[in-house]
Amino acid sequence: MSIVTRLEHDALLPDQELAALVGRATGDGAVVSFTGIARPQSKDGDSVRQLVLEHHPSLTLQSLQDIALDAAARFDVSHLHVVHRSGSIAPGEPVVFAGAASLHRRAAFEAADYLMDRLKTEAVFWKREVGEEGSEWIEPTDADYADRDRWG
Amino acid sequence: MKVLFYGRLAEAIGLELEVDAPSGSSVAELRERLIAEHPEAERPLRSKRALACVGDTLVRDSHVLRACDTVEFLPPVSGG
Repeated sequence: MSIVTRLEHDALLPDQELAALVGRATGDGAVVSFTGIARPQSKDGDSVRQLVLEHHPSLTLQSLQDIALDAAARFDVSHLHVVHRSGSIAPGEPVVFAGAASLHRRAAFEAADYLMDRLKTEAVFWKREVGEEGSEWIEPTDADYADRDRWG
Repeated sequence: MKVLFYGRLAEAIGLELEVDAPSGSSVAELRERLIAEHPEAERPLRSKRALACVGDTLVRDSHVLRACDTVEFLPPVSGG
């Protein structure tokens, strides 16, 4: 069992993260990964120039580690890999990579889904979209919290 | 007592405040004082999803503070 969690201040390269996870998954039968990408438009359809993620000096990485540890305890996975950007992110650039490896596919699919539901609502970041009219703080929606809560 | 803010709270209040609160004050009492002095930050300070920390540990509203503590107020977090 291995867990990688990293706070990335520079570019997040999902192909490299996936290659690293696949490289560790010797003996496994499945790797599932999710890459979250900064959208070019807000939910209201306004153009977004930048997505800015602020983080806490200690609690942010701790939150990534806690979420990954919970996933490791909950699912029959061999390896977990979570990398999250901080700082200014241009539309189209990756924000988060969450991957899981397991002997059979179901556990890896579920673990990746679980990781993202927890990350959306509990990873310690403060996120704002910067557009033509200034910036707007983005918080989880009721649907995001409901997605998280379905795991009990 | 030093108080640190993040996200929309830092935007409204500033990154850091020195508050002349006596030992024995609770987190809830400190929050009410901050709201009285910064009414523009009332909504994120009162959010049920906002968190308070002392020494990187989440604390409840009833937590009793010391004058030498550094208290952090975290508005609702959002990753992904």
